[in-house]
Amino acid sequence: MNHDEARTILLLYRPGTTDAADPEIAAALALAKQDPELTRWLVEHCARQEAFRAGFRHITAPAGLKEQIISEQAAQEKTVSWQPRAILTVAAAVAAVVLALAVLAPLWLPYRAADDAYARLRDQMASIALRPYGMDLVTDNSAQVRAYLAQKNAPADYVLPTPLGKTAVSGCAIEYWRGAKVSMICFRTGKPLPPGEQSDLWLFVIDRASVKNAPPAGERRYVQVNRLMTVAWTEGDKLYLLGTKGDEQTLRQYL
Amino acid sequence: MAEDVDFERLVACYYEPLYQFAFSLARDESDACDLTQQTFCIWAAKGHQLRDPSKVKTWLFTTLHREFLGSRRRQTRFPHVELEQAAAELPVVAPATVNRLDARQALDALGRLDEIYQAPVALFYLQDCSYNEIAEILDVPLGTVKSRLTRGLGRLHQLLTGAPTGAPLQPPNL
Repeated sequence: MNHDEARTILLLYRPGTTDAADPEIAAALALAKQDPELTRWLVEHCARQEAFRAGFRHITAPAGLKEQIISEQAAQEKTVSWQPRAILTVAAAVAAVVLALAVLAPLWLPYRAADDAYARLRDQMASIALRPYGMDLVTDNSAQVRAYLAQKNAPADYVLPTPLGKTAVSGCAIEYWRGAKVSMICFRTGKPLPPGEQSDLWLFVIDRASVKNAPPAGERRYVQVNRLMTVAWTEGDKLYLLGTKGDEQTLRQYL
Repeated sequence: MAEDVDFERLVACYYEPLYQFAFSLARDESDACDLTQQTFCIWAAKGHQLRDPSKVKTWLFTTLHREFLGSRRRQTRFPHVELEQAAAELPVVAPATVNRLDARQALDALGRLDEIYQAPVALFYLQDCSYNEIAEILDVPLGTVKSRLTRGLGRLHQLLTGAPTGAPLQPPNL
């Protein structure tokens, strides 16, 4: 190894590191000890190396980089670990619902279908009563009302509770529910009526057979439909639905 | 197994040197942060595949370097500058000034080097990596590392001091 070769090799030498253990560098260092010029060059070289290292090491990471890396990784892990758990949770919930439907459907579905039919009838009749309507027959004679309905083949052989039978009628109309005629008998309770209105109490009568889920005999079913309080009951072969703008207690005085 | 390595401790140990390496390559704070973060992100996803925990440092630097090369392929933001052209543009730093070298000067000089020398020189000065570690990180033979370091350091010294250091200024032996 000559002088120039030793300089080239020592160019890679970093004092204070394990570089001196490298056989080539060790040999070059040994040569430098015997060569004053090479020794002088090596001292300068080591000083430059330290300066370069110090210069590069002035590079500092921005404040918060470490925390950002850790927090973003934690968030990522949370997302990643959440996803399978969420999928499992949703899958378990769906499975539970499907299982419940499979078990309960035979019991629940017929009842709901029938209940829906009754609810639809009740809601439809209530909306008729609440919106402006025209009576087919305007009269305060209850016999004329019954006769008219009979003439039109609408339910006319209805049986009124005693208090309701004593309430003044104002007329009647015929409505339809799934092809079946519904007798609409209009009453006046005697309270002041809003302008343009002739009734404030309405009774709907339909053949019970047309609404398979009619409330069982002896049961009176009170339901508020929008502004109308309704009560439904069955008697004989008829389903009755009475409604007024008031509360349950208001209706009870007509039953 | 490397999967036993605590992530927070790993970040605490290596985020600074990884950032320094990234910055020395990209010379942009934002890019360096991205490279550092991406490296730990890859570790979180694939680090468990590393069998030898003693190779964690090498693995991290290798990954960062690959990410840097990948990003460079995607964006040619850094045009290649021949050393001879760069040397003409550089202000000569007197030997005495080298002793007061700051990071900007060091990085400016590093940036003037041919790309092929930048990573080994950065690892050489920044991390005190052994030649074997540099070879592993850059995935090149040990002899190639020494060759590139010799030429790279020689050119760096020349750029900073304006004087030859004994290293031959020949085309790199790739």
